[in-house]
Amino acid sequence: MNSSFHERSIWIQLLSLIGVLGYYFIAAWRMWESGETQIGAYVPLFISTVVLLVVVQVVAHIAAALISRPETPDERDRLIGWRAASRSAWILAVGTLSAITLMVMGVELFWIAHLLLLAMLLAETTKLTLQLTDYRAGL
Amino acid sequence: MGQGKSRVLNQIRQLRFAHQEMTQQMLADRVGVTRQTIHAIEAGKYSPSLEVAFRISREFNCPLEQVFQYRDSATPESGAQ
Repeated sequence: MNSSFHERSIWIQLLSLIGVLGYYFIAAWRMWESGETQIGAYVPLFISTVVLLVVVQVVAHIAAALISRPETPDERDRLIGWRAASRSAWILAVGTLSAITLMVMGVELFWIAHLLLLAMLLAETTKLTLQLTDYRAGL
Repeated sequence: MGQGKSRVLNQIRQLRFAHQEMTQQMLADRVGVTRQTIHAIEAGKYSPSLEVAFRISREFNCPLEQVFQYRDSATPESGAQ
């Protein structure tokens, strides 16, 4: 069974998130290793990452739409999405509570900001992976 | 959904063939879902909503019970999916 446009869209979102944000974390790690710990120094890198992510996703979705007719997500697509979201939401909750704990402990903003970003990335990639698992299982 | 085969059986595949060999895509377009959803319904892996079930039945001009059947522990398995 070939995939629907919505499933291909999820693949695009997952791969672009891992690729682009993976690049961000690698670049940020190198900056940290060179001694840069001020969060402001990471803002240009973060902004360029967001712009790159948007461009990649827009181009990829246009290409996917040209290959096959885009379809409106139907009830099954919505259910798979809601199911995945409910099963992955705890990751963001854990990350947020951890960040609050670090704030109370007085940890540098650099670590708190990147912990939140990492939690968002893990929650979203988990949700997308769970959706793809359901699609591949033919649900 | 997500717990193995659904208990809701259906005759959609047979009805499609009986209706001028309607394709899954054709039925999906008329009902308002994706072809993959029709495939999942036929395979017994997804139970449609009541609204979609009624729409499917209407396309075949059949009562709902002729298109979909519910299998409980007392009902022997019958009717291929």
